[in-house]
Amino acid sequence: MKEISTNILIGRNSFAKRITLPSIIILVVTVVGPLGFLLYASFFDWSLTVPVPPRFAWFYNFGLVFKDARFWNAFKNTSVLMIAGIVAQSILGLILAFLLNRNFRFKKLAITILALPIMVTPVVLGFNWRIIFHEHYGPLNYIIRFLGGAGSSWIADPKLALFSIFLVDTWQWTPFVTLILLAGLQSIPHQVYEATDVDGATGWQTFWRVTLPLLRPMFVLVILFRTIWIFKIFDPVYILTGGGPGITTETLSLYTYISWVKYWKVGYTSALALVQLIIMTIIATIFVRKVMQRRRV
Amino acid sequence: MRKIYLFILITSLLLVFSCSMLVQAQAKFNNVTITAFCDAGHNARPFEWYADEFAKAGIKVNVVTAPFANVYEKLTSEFIAGTGAYDLVVLFPMYLGEFAGMGYLKPLDEYAKKYDPRLDDIAAGFLKLYDYYGGKLYTLPYDGDVLSLYFRKDLFNDETEKSNFKKMYNKELAPPETWDEVLDVAEFFTRKTGETLAGKVLDSDFYGFAFLAQRGGFAYAWWLAEFASRGGKYFDQDMNAMINTEEGVIALQRLVDLLPYCPPDVLSYGYDELTNALILGRTAMCLQWPCNWKKGNDPAQSKIVGNVGVTHVPGVMKDGKLEYRAPMPCGRTLAVAKDSKNPEAAYYVAKLLSDDFSLADVSTPETGLDPFRKSHFSNPAAFSAFGPEKEAAEYLAAIANNLTYGFPDLSLPGTAQYLDVLEVNLGKAYTKELSPKEALDATAKEWNSITDSLGKANQIKIYNELLVGWKEVGLID
Repeated sequence: MKEISTNILIGRNSFAKRITLPSIIILVVTVVGPLGFLLYASFFDWSLTVPVPPRFAWFYNFGLVFKDARFWNAFKNTSVLMIAGIVAQSILGLILAFLLNRNFRFKKLAITILALPIMVTPVVLGFNWRIIFHEHYGPLNYIIRFLGGAGSSWIADPKLALFSIFLVDTWQWTPFVTLILLAGLQSIPHQVYEATDVDGATGWQTFWRVTLPLLRPMFVLVILFRTIWIFKIFDPVYILTGGGPGITTETLSLYTYISWVKYWKVGYTSALALVQLIIMTIIATIFVRKVMQRRRV
Repeated sequence: MRKIYLFILITSLLLVFSCSMLVQAQAKFNNVTITAFCDAGHNARPFEWYADEFAKAGIKVNVVTAPFANVYEKLTSEFIAGTGAYDLVVLFPMYLGEFAGMGYLKPLDEYAKKYDPRLDDIAAGFLKLYDYYGGKLYTLPYDGDVLSLYFRKDLFNDETEKSNFKKMYNKELAPPETWDEVLDVAEFFTRKTGETLAGKVLDSDFYGFAFLAQRGGFAYAWWLAEFASRGGKYFDQDMNAMINTEEGVIALQRLVDLLPYCPPDVLSYGYDELTNALILGRTAMCLQWPCNWKKGNDPAQSKIVGNVGVTHVPGVMKDGKLEYRAPMPCGRTLAVAKDSKNPEAAYYVAKLLSDDFSLADVSTPETGLDPFRKSHFSNPAAFSAFGPEKEAAEYLAAIANNLTYGFPDLSLPGTAQYLDVLEVNLGKAYTKELSPKEALDATAKEWNSITDSLGKANQIKIYNELLVGWKEVGLID
């Protein structure tokens, strides 16, 4: 009997291996392969614009990354966008989620309209906002001037350009945060609020001591996703400002892109990408741990 | 009667024979298919327009396009990988040094002997600077870009404006000849909403000047205009960066000084924004590519039809003599890829586009292609769709003149990197993050470091190959 079951298990195991093999191959080819190449290339002084063979250079490229002022500038810009974006989108998303958590006419339509920015293609979004921000013909300045303001050069003024990208990102991704938080709000059992009513808690106390702690897993999820996405932000920056004026809006992704397709620096760009991957992995690990700890508690 | 029949028969046979010979002579290739690459948009149209003509020569042309901003990476990745994906490529001359120097392109001298592209008809500056590399012919011109000064003729001819200018600056109002004059004229024409311009009350702010400052859109060329006119050079012969010399700093300081007289969003100006600034009536003058005149005279696009003046780029006075050099950013040339399986057919198509069909292509509003042949410049009637023949002649003379005194784009391995670094630092000077001197010093430092990283000896070799053409047009001694 024992022998039979072992045979069945072996058979199942073998079958399991067979059906997962294509996925493993695809994973190796599309993820492990490029990652391995990235790691390999990062140790070489390697440029494609000159007919010189790659030279093994140990950690030379990593040293260059950390000494590169443009890397730190891009890191700063990305961090500013990330922190400001997550804070603003979380606050706005929470307010909108609360509003949508009530019953009112056309609620479904309101949610559908709210979700539209998420569905817009990034390139279309970039060009649309380029028109909106236009100093002379853009509707944004038109409205500001109509209301008596002076209007601004949103994407040409170095003081405003990064803020403009933040505006676009917030416009596009606040709905995502709203929908996640709305799902969180709707998953809180009604009995919880009935209990707080019985206990005589004020609205503020209910929000602060009950709703927010119960939304915490959703917030962690939102922050994790938005951190990863803003870290990779590319399209709106590329289309709206191209990283300019100067490098005032150059983000890590844009700099990596330029370093690769304009400079063809294979070794340096690989090191640059690996550094970002490591930073992102650390951030993601911290968040995932937080979530897991919470679940265990 | 029999003699008549015999005569008709022989004549008919001769006719059929001659026709078949003619067809044979025209069908030079035996149903060859080639792939051509061009930046997307209106400049790729001629490949479609002449499909039947190519077919008559026995060539079918498949056209692949990529957005303007992605041409370099698209071509480079195909060339590096050696895919042989393209037979004929339309490329920006700034990549000639890199592509020819790296052996990605086929020299065309042999084919040019077989099918004459009439090189002597091509504007000398363009031919020597953008078609030859290391003494060999690598490309044929397709689009003759050069910067010129465009201005509002109605404003410069307005009696009140002329009189006011004379009172303020104690000289006649005229299109500026020098960069010092540009600053005065730009200041003079900059007005606020409610002020009067040429007798009309302005309903929005008006500016004296505008330039292209958007990174990645050839923005360096607007700085290059004064730098080159002052005799500035990219590098010395040992590839030490020379852009942070006095010439460079003065030129950059000039653009910084002009900023108050430019639209406030000028730092985000690319090609379209700069064109619109003039033709939609927001600025008095700007430096632009040749199609500005064509667009400015198109009622569908312009508010200043009939008022677009064009002249040489501003320069500087040296020993009482006006010296100017017109940057030649962008431009388009046709080249045959080294890995092409049908290089002769690819060359033949290039020759047809560069020569046989070129006048029609550069004189239509349906492309953005600009004149580059002497036969274009001497044919103002072909451009009469844009205005009276006299004005067309003035326009063509100005373009021809600027091409004669053209200053070429840098064209080396790593050009994209050199120019991106330059544009980044120009931007830092415009935003006052760095002074012009600091910005150019930082650029020079980075350029030297790029040169070292790309292999200085190889860069020197390629740069000196380029200098051959530059010497021939008198750019260097």
